[in-house]
Formats: sequence, structure tokens, C-alpha cells
Amino acid sequence: MTYIKDKQMSFPELADWVIDRTLKAGANDCRVNLSKRRTVEINYRDRKPEVIKEATTHGLYLEVFINNRFAGKSTPDFRTSTLEGFITDLIASASLMEEDPYRTLPDPKYYSGRSETDLQLSDPDYDKLTPEDRHAMTKAVEESCLLEGGKKVISVEAGEYDESYEEYVKSSNGFEGSTKSTYCQVGASMTAQDEGDRRPAGYNYIGCRYRSDLPSLPEIGTVAATRTLDLLGGKKIATTKIPVILENRGAARVLGDLFNPMSGGSIQQKRSFLADKKGKSIGSKLLTVTDDPFIPRGLGSKYYDGDGFPARRRDLLKEGIVNEFLVDWYYSRKLGWEPTSGSIGNLIIPPGTRSVEAIISDLPRCILITGYIGGNSNSTTGDFSVGIIGKLFEKGKLVQNVAEMNIADNHLNFWNKLIEVANDPWIYSQARIPSLVFEDVVVAGI
Amino acid sequence: MKPIPRRKFIQGTALAGGALLFLPSLKACKFLNANSSGNYFLDEFGIDEDLCRRLLAKALSRGGDFADLYFEFTVSNYLGLEDGKVNQSYGDISLGVGIRTVKGDQIGYGLTQELTEESMMSAAATASTLCDERITPVDTSFSKPQIGDYYPLAAGFNGIPVESKLPLLQSINQKCFALSPEIVKVNAGFQNSTKRILIATSDGVMTEDIIPAGFIYSSVVAERNGKREQAFWNLGGHRDLSFYTDDVINEVSSKAVNNALRLFDAVQPPAGEMPVVLGPGITGILLHEAIGHGMEADFNRKKISTYSSMLGKKVAEPFVNIIDDGTIPGLAGSINVDDEGIPGQKTILVENGILRSYLHDKISAKFYGVEPTGNGRRQDFQNYPIPRMRNTYMLGGTYTPEDVIRAAGNGIYVEDVSNGQVKIGEGDFAFYVSQGRMIENGKLTSPIKDVNIMGNGPKMLANITMAANDLEMSHGGAGQCGKNGQGAPVSFGMPTCLVKSLTVGGTQQKGGQS
Repeated sequence: MTYIKDKQMSFPELADWVIDRTLKAGANDCRVNLSKRRTVEINYRDRKPEVIKEATTHGLYLEVFINNRFAGKSTPDFRTSTLEGFITDLIASASLMEEDPYRTLPDPKYYSGRSETDLQLSDPDYDKLTPEDRHAMTKAVEESCLLEGGKKVISVEAGEYDESYEEYVKSSNGFEGSTKSTYCQVGASMTAQDEGDRRPAGYNYIGCRYRSDLPSLPEIGTVAATRTLDLLGGKKIATTKIPVILENRGAARVLGDLFNPMSGGSIQQKRSFLADKKGKSIGSKLLTVTDDPFIPRGLGSKYYDGDGFPARRRDLLKEGIVNEFLVDWYYSRKLGWEPTSGSIGNLIIPPGTRSVEAIISDLPRCILITGYIGGNSNSTTGDFSVGIIGKLFEKGKLVQNVAEMNIADNHLNFWNKLIEVANDPWIYSQARIPSLVFEDVVVAGI
Repeated sequence: MKPIPRRKFIQGTALAGGALLFLPSLKACKFLNANSSGNYFLDEFGIDEDLCRRLLAKALSRGGDFADLYFEFTVSNYLGLEDGKVNQSYGDISLGVGIRTVKGDQIGYGLTQELTEESMMSAAATASTLCDERITPVDTSFSKPQIGDYYPLAAGFNGIPVESKLPLLQSINQKCFALSPEIVKVNAGFQNSTKRILIATSDGVMTEDIIPAGFIYSSVVAERNGKREQAFWNLGGHRDLSFYTDDVINEVSSKAVNNALRLFDAVQPPAGEMPVVLGPGITGILLHEAIGHGMEADFNRKKISTYSSMLGKKVAEPFVNIIDDGTIPGLAGSINVDDEGIPGQKTILVENGILRSYLHDKISAKFYGVEPTGNGRRQDFQNYPIPRMRNTYMLGGTYTPEDVIRAAGNGIYVEDVSNGQVKIGEGDFAFYVSQGRMIENGKLTSPIKDVNIMGNGPKMLANITMAANDLEMSHGGAGQCGKNGQGAPVSFGMPTCLVKSLTVGGTQQKGGQS
């Protein structure tokens, strides 16, 4: 074997070494990201382990800037003997690029002002999680799902996944940042026997930074089963114009279409239907979307973004009006704008006062959308179309489950149809969005 | 299925290209004799048969039916053009080994990025924790299977150098702007990777492969009367530089430009059920979603596919023949050998309307008592293999495309699609139409765009009522199929064919209400 490990260096030591060698090799500037991730995954089916997987991986991502030319490259090989060649090659790659005056590291003045709040991203008890705990958690979820699913069960798969992650980032012009985080997810998916050959599958997987924040394991398994049983008998109905409710846990599937066109890159590249909408209304007064990166234990919480800019709380949309675009350093320079940060932390829509059940009971007829299939959104025009799965209600009573149907609209019309926000933000996601109620949506079926 | 955005390239396994620049850093000053020796991992990392035997013995040290080792070294590169300049180069190296222990349908999996014996033995020990038995170690003897050559490469192939790609992207930029004064933005990119794998199994297979992959694309924005439209086109697959000729550059440029311009006249079709004609080529994504995934044997072994009880039964009209084929030279889904060491092959899914075979990996083949079909594929060494499609297509029929369109009467014609998805248990699927036309009174009329189409796999198969004689394969390279968090390159093929009824997701109710 010729593959010999170097003396171990800490992340800061290795980053300093890489920056030093990169500058000496001719780069004007550079930024290095070092990361390490440990993951464990256990899946059960038929009351026995189906998959047991463990992995520890690490990576080095280096970006070099040389005379307004740029290249970035990653490698898992931390040996200094091979990193020398890696750096030389990367600089050679960058030198082949065409000159782009906007390709620089950010002005260091934008690095200051980082929050020192403890975001509680890393569970202090993570290391206490044993293999036995993981098996026990998975079995508990599986059992409760099997119990609730009863005779309708064709198959139940339950799983536990956890990870610990750490990164260290340093640039040659003064940025330094580090993050440690943990994540623990558990859940189950169930397939049920329906009419004919239909075998609907539903699931419920819940993830948190701290294991202690998970709902009870029996509850997780039970909900996986009930969400599956709720799919039985799903059929399409005649094409109709009807109020729809996007269930909280899936609402980001449609809301998320707004953020690509709000990015500096889409705007500068003329691929945004929102480019001329800053300060203008694109939706109802209920459409306020806040980016809050400081929620303790939040799945999107962070201290800094990819440019090294300090995270900050901001309203992206305020009462239907586009308030702030997502502009990173590179595209801020191309646009001649101030950078605002190109990435999002946690998304929040202020919750309303009523439950989904209360809202449904007040509507003569509506569809609660609980799942999506396929679809796309055109960031240049705002047109979108997506398949839906859900439940049809009349006067608060379930009429039937619906499947194989579709909603389509233009976002500039659709968000004006938002008539109510429920009181149920979904906290197990980076998008902490309540259920959203829209009027007069064309739902295509028969 | 949709074009992979730049960030995905960075995070994904594979940016290729700068291979010539890269390789010296892996072993100082030694250039590699690419595809000639078949001993790459021995030469570069000292992975010999004895070491593989020791690792397999460790993986089976607590029991298990079989174990395998999957060594991977992939060099990837993405080169991007924006605002007239090739100003972005992103690259990635993926190196490591995944070690799997299998008992029945149970999997233990460990992996490491460090190809030291100590690290690899530790990964093998992790995989072995699946079992807890006393066993007698087996001493594996290896042989090399006969495998195909479905992506022939020039001697000494070692990736596509950056210098060769730069003028191709500049040429796309010039051509796109020259084709129409209404083009206001052009993005072009060249993504490619060179993956080398070594597979060693406890049942005695040891084989290597070198897999080039990638594509070149153009994405344009056009502007007319204050309105903007965008379109994208790509070509690629398992190719070396010789594929990327002037004809390829011309097609990538003109398709993107013409498609974008046509969208200015596009209308929204009425919503609801109607006849749908699939144009030839990439619309084969419908087969991929409507039947292909449901035929992957893991879903059937677990009885969670809607096709679990349909093997040997009639599922379509007698003229319908659907094939999953890993042996078509150069296509994105072709494989010389799958990721379990089974040679690439061709599998008939539907023959004369009868469902014939699932797509198997070794676990499902053993479960069903059949031979593996060479569909055991994985994204990279960090993932274990699962049954995956390769290139999925339907054979042509006897009609002309005009016959098929005429027979549709009133409906829609689908030319380009993206973002397919299926729910395996129900068989419900969707795919997104980015380019198409209305069919009115048996003739193609206004363009349509941005419409999702929904259907049910078994129902759709039964509803294919006509097929034309114009089977065409998609030569794109950007198509990635996602399953269980793993991406795999695939391709599709389709003749023009008529599906009697699918749900079209427009914004207008039939009869003109909006």
C-alpha cells in the first residue's frame, strides 16, 4: 500500500496550510471549506433490520481567485502530499477561465456583525445515542404503525437516521466560521391494500436537531399509518374551480417556487418573473414571509451564509409586497446592488387563529391537499403546474379522497387567492409554514 | 427529470473534465494508462486480490449470504458560460470503497474514503454487524466476467480536458445569439465525469470499468414585446470528446433558441381528461414513470408495487413492446457491467402486451429464483445498489406519425418533458410538458407549455392505442433518475404514440371558463 495518512492536523491548522500554499502558488485570494459528517441509518421491515449503514466522510472544498478568474474544486484526500498537486491543478484550471471582474471574494466589511446567540444546533446528548437505542426507536415506530394500520397493511418500513456534522470555513481575506450540528430523524412508511391493484403508500418521517424534541415514537408510527389509510379510495373528480388548502407540512412545495425568481442570479440572468416586482404587491395581504435564521434548534438556523455574510432576520414578502431579494455577493456586483445574502434560513408565515378543521367546516366545498406529484414552475414566467393528492370535503364532512389530479396557475394570480392562514405552523422543517387556504383554484381531473 | 442546476453539480458526485489537470495530484507525476490495463486500482491504490479476499472475509466474518466491494474513483468537472464568458470551473473528486454484507434481503453497509487496509477493514466490520453467527471463512477465488463495450473510448482516454471544452461553449454562445435578435441571455455548460470502478464479490467476480459521462447544454432567454420565455437543450451520454461535433453544437443551440421563441405563441390547454399524443424520443419518460419504476423488483419483492400481481398478465395491446436496455452504445443509461458485477444486458418488460420480467438486482433475483438482469445500480460508493432502469423504450408500430395525430382528434401533442414522478403503490404518475402543441381536428395547432400531465400507469398502458414507426432514442445526458436518494443516469425512447386519455393540468376548465 502506498496510501499513507499524514500526521493529523486540526481543521484550522489544515485551512491555514491550504491558504498559505494556495497564495504561494499564485492565487490572489482563496476560501477553503473543511467538513466532516458521520451518519448512521437503520431500516426495519417485517420486524427485522433491512439495512444497517454507517459512514464517516470528510471533504475539502477550495475556491481560488486569480486575476478575476475563478475555479472551485473538492476532494476527500486531506494528505498534504497530494493537496500540493490539487492546489496547483486548481490554479491552472482557474487560469484557463475568461476574466470576469465580478469574481472576487466579498469585501471583508460585509463579514462583521455575526450573531453570538447560541442557536443550539448540536445536541449535547448526541453521543449517548447507542446502536441499541436506534434499534429500539425504529422498532417502536414500526410496531405502532403496524398496530394502527391493522389488516390494511401490505408492508411497513420504519427507519432511524442520525448525523453529526462539523465544518470550518476560512478565507484569505479575513473570514473565519465554524458550525457543529446534529440531526435525528425517525419515521415509517406504510403500503396499504386498496381496491383492485392500488396499493397507496403514505409516510411520516420527523427530524429534529435534538433527539429529545421528537414527538413520541408511537405517535410517529401511528400518524404514518393514518396518513396512509387516508389515501384509500383516492380517485379523481370532475375538473372544478374550488377552494384548496395546502396542508402545512407540504405547503413549501408551492411557496418554494417563489424563491428562485427572487435570487440575484435569476434576476440578473433575466429568468425571473419577479425582477420588476420589488416594492410591488404579488399576493394577498396575508402573504408575509420572514426569513429567520435565529430560531433555536431550527433546521435552517445558521450564523453565516455561503459568502460569509452574517445571517440576519428579514421579511422577504410583507403583506403581499416583495420586500427583499436574495442577492449574493457575485450577483450583487453584476447588478450593481447591495448584497442581501443569497440563501435562506428558516421560513415563517405568521399563523392565523383558526384550525384547519374549523376552516374546512366553514367552506361549502374544498380540497385539502396533502401530497404532490411531479410538476414544475417556470421561474421566467411564473407559470406552474403540479399533481396533487388530497381529500374532498363538503360542509366539513369528508366526501372522498382524491388522487391523480392537478392544480395549475401563474404565481402572480395564485397568491392573490390566499384568503386565510391556519394556526398550525409545521415546526419539523426549515419552512415553518401553516396550512394555507386559497379560493377559486382550478383543480383538473376528469 | 430536469436539468441539473449548478449547485447540484457541485454537491453531486461528478464534475469531470479537468481530469488531465487532476490526476498527478493523486499519485505524483504518474499519468495513467486509462482503459488498457484493467488493473487501475491495483496500480494506483495497491488493491490486489489478496486484500479483496481479506476484506470480503471480514465482511462475512459474522455470517451472511454474500458480500461485495465497490471501489470508486471519479473525477468530475463543470465548466460554465454566462454573459459571454466561460468564467466558472467547478470540480470534484470522489474516492472510496463501499462494503456490503447481504443476508436474505438484509443489508449491512460500511464505507470509507481512505483506501488504507485499516480503514477498509473497519468498514467491512461495520457491514458485518448485520449478522451474528459463527461461520467458517470462505476463501474466494476471482474470475473476470465477459462484459460489453457500450461506450468505446479512444486508447488512453483520461477525461476531457478543459481546454477542449472552452471553444465548444463559446461556439454555442455565438450561435444562439446569431440565430435570433430576440435572444437576450445565453447560458451554456459542459458537465462531464470519468468514473473508474472495481467490483469484487464473495461469489468470485472481480471486474473493472471506466465510465465517461456528461453532456453539453444551452439554456436561453428570449424577449419579445416585454415578455420573456426560456428553453434548454442538451446532448451527451457516455461519450468522449469525439461526440461533441459541430452538429451537436448546432443542435444544442438551435433547439434551445427555436423552442424558446415558439413559446411566445403558446396557449394553455383546457384542463381535464383528453387524448395525448407523445412525440418520439424523450417522451419515453412516460414509460419510465408509468411502468419502469413499478417493474423494479425491490418494490415487487416487498409487494408495494401496483405491478406486484401482474407478471405474465396482459397489460397492454398486443403491439406494445417495452424494453429496458443497458447495451445501446453511448446512451446515458448504458452499462458495460452493473454495480454488482453483472454484465449489462437487455430486458424485455412487456412483450406483445404481456408483462414479462421485473428488473432485478442480486437480492431480488435470489428471492424470485431467477438470474439477475444487470439492473443493480448505485449512485456512488457511498450507496448500496438497488434495482434501477437503464435505457427504457417502446418499439415502434406500423402507423405514420400523421396517422396517430389524426386519430387523436382533439387533444395535446407532447414534444419535450421534464420532472416525471410516480407513486409506486398506486401507479399514479406525472410528467411536466415543457414543449408541446394542441391537436385540433386531427392537426397540430398552437404551441402549449408548462403543463403537468397526470395518469395511472396500468390504465395508461392499457390506453396506448396506436404507435408509429418512428422510434427515436433520447441522446440527452442530463437525465438523472432519483430513487431512495440516489441519482442514476438513464435515457428513454419512444415512437409517436396515442394514449386514449390522460389528465391535463391546465388553468382553464373545458368550455373556455378560466
